[in-house]
Amino acid sequence: MTLLSVQNLHAYYRTEAYGISRTVRAVDGVSFDLFPNEIYGVAGESSCGKTTLIKVISGSIKHPLKAFEGSVNYNFGDYKVDMLQISQSELRRNVRWKRISYVMQGSMSVLNPVRKVIKTFEDIVDTHEHITDKNEFLQRTRTHVNRLGLPTDVLNAYPHQLSGGMRQRVAIALATVFQPALIIADEPTTALDVVVQRGVLHMIKDIQATSNNTVLLVTHDMAVHANVADRVMIMYAGRIAEEAPTESIFNAPLHPYTQHLINSLPVIGEKSTKASLKGSPPNLADPPSGCRFHPRCPYVMDECRTVAPDLISVKERHRVACHLVKEGSQ
Amino acid sequence: MRKFILRYLIPRIIQYLTLIFVGITVTYIIPRLAPTDPVEAQVSMMIARGNTLDPQSVESMRAALTDLYGLSGNPVEQYFAFWGRLFRGDLGPSLNNFPTPVSKMIGQALPYTLRLLIPAVVISFIFGNLFGALSSYYPANRALNVLEVVGQVVRSIPYYIVAIVLLVVFSYFIPIFPFSGAYPIGTRPDWSSIDFILTYLEHAALPAATLILVGFGGWFVGMKSLTSNIISEDYVVYAETAGLSKNRILVQYIMRTAILPQFTALAMVLGTVFSGALIMEVVFGYPGIGSLAIRAIYNNDYSMIMGITIYSIIGVATAVFIMDLLYPLFDPRVRYQ
Repeated sequence: MTLLSVQNLHAYYRTEAYGISRTVRAVDGVSFDLFPNEIYGVAGESSCGKTTLIKVISGSIKHPLKAFEGSVNYNFGDYKVDMLQISQSELRRNVRWKRISYVMQGSMSVLNPVRKVIKTFEDIVDTHEHITDKNEFLQRTRTHVNRLGLPTDVLNAYPHQLSGGMRQRVAIALATVFQPALIIADEPTTALDVVVQRGVLHMIKDIQATSNNTVLLVTHDMAVHANVADRVMIMYAGRIAEEAPTESIFNAPLHPYTQHLINSLPVIGEKSTKASLKGSPPNLADPPSGCRFHPRCPYVMDECRTVAPDLISVKERHRVACHLVKEGSQ
Repeated sequence: MRKFILRYLIPRIIQYLTLIFVGITVTYIIPRLAPTDPVEAQVSMMIARGNTLDPQSVESMRAALTDLYGLSGNPVEQYFAFWGRLFRGDLGPSLNNFPTPVSKMIGQALPYTLRLLIPAVVISFIFGNLFGALSSYYPANRALNVLEVVGQVVRSIPYYIVAIVLLVVFSYFIPIFPFSGAYPIGTRPDWSSIDFILTYLEHAALPAATLILVGFGGWFVGMKSLTSNIISEDYVVYAETAGLSKNRILVQYIMRTAILPQFTALAMVLGTVFSGALIMEVVFGYPGIGSLAIRAIYNNDYSMIMGITIYSIIGVATAVFIMDLLYPLFDPRVRYQ
C-alpha cells in the first residue's frame, strides 16, 4: 500500500508582466511513492526544486506556482484524496495537521513572538478539534511535550526565551500533536549546531519509531540522510536523478551527481582534498537540453546533450536517470 | 514585586521627575533670555495709555509688578521662588487678563479640550488601526482600498483645511451644525440638562469629526505599513499552513505584534492633548487650551504661555511614563527588570 503516489508531476512558476511570460520549471516530471512507516529523504542543492515539491504535495500551491500536469494522490486508508483537486476548506478541515503536518524551513521563527508557546498549541488544537475542556487540553499537551523529552516549562515560555534547538523541537512537537500520517520536515536541522542537530534528528527518529508514521525529510545535508533516512531521493534541476534505499545509495551511487555529493562528505582520517563540481545549478527558467546535468558531468556523452534520460529501475527499489546506466545492469 | 519596584519602577520614576524638572527649568530660562522686561513693558503701556502718574506711584507699581511676576531678587532666588509657587499650584496672574490667575483660566479651558480630544484620539486610534490591518491583510477588498485612498488623502491635507472644509460644507451650505463655540452664546453650562448636553455634543461634532478624520488617516497608513511587513513573517505563514482561521491570524498574529509601536505613538498623542489643538480650536472658536494659547501668543502673555507649556510637559511625560509601565503587558519581550 502506498501513502502517497506522485505521478509525472510538473509544477511551474509562471509570471506574466507586460505581456512577457516567464516560466520556471521548478518540478519537471517527478514520480515517486511514499509508503507508510518510513523516513524518506529528499536531497539536492539549493534551487533544485525541493521546496516546490513540498509545497505541491502539502497543498500549499499559491500563485505564481501552478501544477500543470501529473497527479498527487494520498491514501490514508480511511480517506483518499487528490491534492491537486482538493478544496481549500476540505484541506483545512480534513488534511492539514490531522493527516499531514509540516515542520517549516526556518522553524526558529514560526512561533508568535508575543504569545506563550502554549497559546500556539491552543490555536492549532482548537482549530482542528474544538477545545471544550481546557484542563484536559493542558494535560494532554503536557504529556505530549514530555513524551518528546521537552520540559513542561517550555509551554509557559515565550519564544525569545527558548534556544534555537528548543524552538525547533517545539516546532516538531507542534507538528505531531495529532499523530499525523505524514510529517513533512523542510530543512529541520539547518542553522543548528551539530550537537543540537543530533538531538533534533533523534527526536524525529523516535517519533517515527513510536507512531509508525511517514516522515518526508528534506535537506541538502547528505550526512543527515545517511543517519536518518530509510530511502533517499536525489533531485537535480527539478528532476529525480536517483532514488534508492539509503544503504545502496551511499555504498553504490550510480548517477555521477550522486557520486559527487557522496564523495564530498568528509571521512575521518582522509587527507585528500575534495573536488568540487564545476559550475552551478542550471537556471530553471531556461534549463539545459537533454540531461540537465550534462554541462557539469565529467562523463558527458553526445547522447546526454540531446536526449533526456528516463528514470529506470536498475535493482529493486533503486531508480536512476543516466545514460551510463542501462536497465537491469549494475 | 520588590525587584519590580527597585529595578523597574524607581528608575522610571526618577527618569519621569528628571524629565519634568529639566523641561520646566528650560521653560523658565527661555523667556528670561528675551530682551524685553515685562514689568517695564506693562508700566510703559500704562503710561502710553495717557494715565498721568506721579513718579512715586509708578515706582510702587513697578515694585508690585516685579513681585507679582516673581522677578524680585537675584536669578537664583527667583528660580527657587518660582518652584515654590509652582508647588502651590500658583502659575502667577495672566498678564493679559490681569489679575485672573493663569491656573484658573487653564482650569476652565482644559475640560473642553480634554472632552473633545481624548474621545477623538481614541476613536481614530481604534478604527485607524483596525482598518489599516484589515486593508493589508485583504489587499483585494474594494471597500478597504477606497478607505485607504480616503485615509491617504485626508492625512496629507493640513488639518485646519479639513476643518474649514467641514465648516463650510456642514454649517454653511448644509446648515446642520453650529458655526462656532462649545455651546450657544448666552447660555450657561448646565450639565444636568439633557438639552444642554445635546447642544454641547452638536457643537463638538465638527471639531471632533476633523480630528477623527485626520487621525484615522494617520493611524491607518501607519498600521498598514507595519502590518505589511508582518504578514510575510514566518509565524504568520506557519499559522496559515496550520489552517488557523483568518480572524485568529489577523488579531492574534498580525495586529498583536504590529500594534506595539502604535501604542507608543498613542501615548505621545495623548500627552500633547494638554496643549490643545491650536488652529482647529481657533477655526471652530472652541474655548479650549488651544484658543487660550493662541491668544496668549498674540498678546505676549508670558505667564500664560509658560503655564500651558508646563501643563504640556507634565502631560507628555506622564503619558510616556504610564505607557512605560504598561508596555510589558503588551509585549512580553520587554520585561520588568
